[in-house]
Amino acid sequence: MSTLEVKDLHVEVQDGESGAVKEILKGVNLSMSTGEIHAIMGPNGTGKSTLSETIMGQSAYHVTQGDILLDGNSILDMPVDERARRGLFLAMQYPAEIPGVTNAEFLRAAINSRRPKDDQISVMSFLKELDKNLDLLDMNEAMTERYLNEGFSGGEKKRNEILQLLMIKPAFALLDEIDSGLDIDALQVVAKGVNSMRGDNFGALIITHYQRLLNYIKPDVVHVMMGGRIVKTGGADLALKLEDEGYAGLRDEFGLDVDLVDEN
Amino acid sequence: MSQETMPLVEDTVTKHDEPAWMTDKRRVAMDQMPTLKMPRVQRFDYRNWQMMPSTEIHWQSSSASLAQSDLDATTAKADDKQISIVQVGQTTTQVKLLPAELTKQGVLVMDLFDAMREYPETVKQHLMTNVIKTNETKLTSYHMAMLTSGIFIYVPRGVVVNQPIEAHIIQDSTKADHPLISHVLIVAEAGSEFAFTQHLSTVGEAANIANCFVEIDAAEDSRVRFSSLDAFGPKTVTYFERRGLAANHANIDWAVGLLNDGNTIGNIDTNLLGEGAETDSKMIAITDGTVRMGINNGVTNRGKHSVGNILQRGVLLGRSQLVFNGIGDIIHGASGAKAEQENRLLMMSNEARGNANPILLIDENDVLAGHAASVGQVDQQQLYYLMSRGIDRQQAQRLVIRGFLGVVLSAIPAKTVRQELITTIERKLTDEN
Repeated sequence: MSTLEVKDLHVEVQDGESGAVKEILKGVNLSMSTGEIHAIMGPNGTGKSTLSETIMGQSAYHVTQGDILLDGNSILDMPVDERARRGLFLAMQYPAEIPGVTNAEFLRAAINSRRPKDDQISVMSFLKELDKNLDLLDMNEAMTERYLNEGFSGGEKKRNEILQLLMIKPAFALLDEIDSGLDIDALQVVAKGVNSMRGDNFGALIITHYQRLLNYIKPDVVHVMMGGRIVKTGGADLALKLEDEGYAGLRDEFGLDVDLVDEN
Repeated sequence: MSQETMPLVEDTVTKHDEPAWMTDKRRVAMDQMPTLKMPRVQRFDYRNWQMMPSTEIHWQSSSASLAQSDLDATTAKADDKQISIVQVGQTTTQVKLLPAELTKQGVLVMDLFDAMREYPETVKQHLMTNVIKTNETKLTSYHMAMLTSGIFIYVPRGVVVNQPIEAHIIQDSTKADHPLISHVLIVAEAGSEFAFTQHLSTVGEAANIANCFVEIDAAEDSRVRFSSLDAFGPKTVTYFERRGLAANHANIDWAVGLLNDGNTIGNIDTNLLGEGAETDSKMIAITDGTVRMGINNGVTNRGKHSVGNILQRGVLLGRSQLVFNGIGDIIHGASGAKAEQENRLLMMSNEARGNANPILLIDENDVLAGHAASVGQVDQQQLYYLMSRGIDRQQAQRLVIRGFLGVVLSAIPAKTVRQELITTIERKLTDEN
C-alpha cells in the first residue's frame, strides 16, 4: 500500500504579466492511500489545479510552507521526473503537443524510464499491452503512430492521457478536469479506463467542477475546496448535496469567509 | 602574384600529369584572385579566419588505412549494391565498381583528375564554367587555382541509377599544411535520375582548411538528389560552395546535415534557369562549444513556373554561433515562380548566438513567395509534460530537439543518411550534457 499526504500546504505563484506574487493554496491538508478514489470539487479559481500541479512538481508553483509526502517521504526536493517514477501521474488539463515524437515511442520511453537499462520492455509485450488498452478506450491504432498530441482534438487528448495512465500504471493518478470538453460517450470511455485501474495498488485524486463525472467514477471520499483550503470532506453523497445547493449554499451553511469568483 | 606562382603551376603539370588546359584554368584563376572580394555571408563576420593558407600546391599521398575508422563508423559497407568512392586527402583509395550494365550505359564515378585525362572534353566543358565561376570571389578563384582532389560523376541521357552513389571524402589532417581542396563535379544529362550522398570527415589532429565545392549541372528533365553529412573535425576551418544549375523541368534536391566540429562558412544555391525547374533545399545544423557557422541557403528563380523551397533547422549549444540566411531571388521574367522558405533556430543555451534571416529579392509581380523565421528556446511546457511521465530531463530534451528537427529529418530520402544523422545528433547532444 502507498500513501500520499499533503500537510498544511501553502503555495504561491507569480503572475506572468504583472509579476505580482499571489498565494493560492493557504494550508491544504489531505491524506489518501492506494485502493481509494478521492474527488476534489470546488468553484473556479479556488486552487484545485494548483494543488495537482504542485504535487506533480511544476516549477511555476512555489511551496512556502507545509509538505507533500509519498509513502512518508517528502517529495518537495524531487524533480518532476523522479516524482513520476516514484508513482505519481498527472492527467493534464492541457497536455503539450510534441511534433516529431510518436505516441508509441513516447509511451515506450515512459515505461522504460521506470525499468533498469538492462531490462527494457520488449516490443512484443509493449504492443500487446498497447493493443489491449487501445481496445478498452475505443481508440484507433493509428493514434499511436501520430505525433504526441499534435493535431489531436480535445477528446482525443483526454483519451490519450488515460491511455498513458493505463500503460504507465502509477500508484497515484491526479486527474485534472479530465471531464472538461467531453461529450457523454467520451466521458463514459474515460471513466471506463479509470475504473479498470481500480484495485489495491491504485489510488486516484479526481479534480472536477461537476458531479456528473462522479456518476461514472464512484469516489470513496469527496473533498470540497474553497479559497485555497479544503473546507469539507465527506462521502459520495457530499457531491450530490453540492449539485443541489451549489458552492455558495455550502459556504453559507458552514459560515465560511470565502469570496467566490463567479458569484453574482 | 602570377609571377611568383607560375613556376609552381608548371611544376604541377609535370609532377601530376595534368592536362595543359587544366593548368591554364589554374593560371587564369590565379591571375583573377587579387582583384576579387571574399564571399559575403550576411550578419556573419569571419574576417579573422585564415581561408587561404598557401598559394603553393603540395601533392601528397595519403594511406588508405586512414579511411578505415570512418568507413567502420558508417554504413558504407552495409549495402553491397551501392556504388562508392573513397578519398583520403588527395588520394582516391577505393572505387567500388559499377554494375556492368551501368558501365555499358556510360555512367562514370571516378577521381576527377583521372577524368581530366580520360574524358577531357566533358570535364573541361563543365568544371567551373556554367555553375560556379572562378571569378566570383577570391575563394572561388583560389579553389580553382589550388584544386588537388575531386570526384567526377557523369550520368548520360535517360539513364536512371537506382543504387545510391556514395562518396566518402576524408580530410587527411595527420599532417599540417595539408589543405583539403576538393571538387565534386556532377553532370546529369537530359532525363537522367540518380541520388548522390557524400560523407565528409577528418582524420588527424592538425589544423587545416577544407575548401569543398560541389557543382551539379542538371540538364532538362533530369533529377538529382544530393545528400551530405558534414562532420569535419574541430581544427578544420571549412568553406563550402554547393551549387546547382537546373534546366527546363530539371529537379535538384539538397539534404544537408551540417555537423562540423569546426568553424564553417558555406553557400548553397540553386539556379532555376529552366522553365518548371524545381529545387527542395533542406538543411539541419548543430553547433556546439565555441563553433561559429554562417550559412547562405539560396534559390534563384529565373525560369517561368520554377519552384524553390528552403527548409532549415538549427540547434545551438554551448557558446556557439549560427547564422542562417535564406536567400530567395526571383528574377524579372520568372512569372508563375514559387519561392518558399522556413528557417528556425532552437537555442539550447543562454550563451549561444543565433540569427535566422530571410532575404527576399523579388523583381517579378506574378509570383508566390513566402517566408517564416524564428529563434526560440526549448518549450518548458513540452519538457514538463515529458518529464511528468518519468522521462529524465536529458532524454526529454533530446526528444524535443528531435521533434524540432523532425520535419527536415523525415524528408531526407536516404534512410541510411537519416539514421547516420540521427546517431550523430544524439552523440552531440549526449556529449553536451
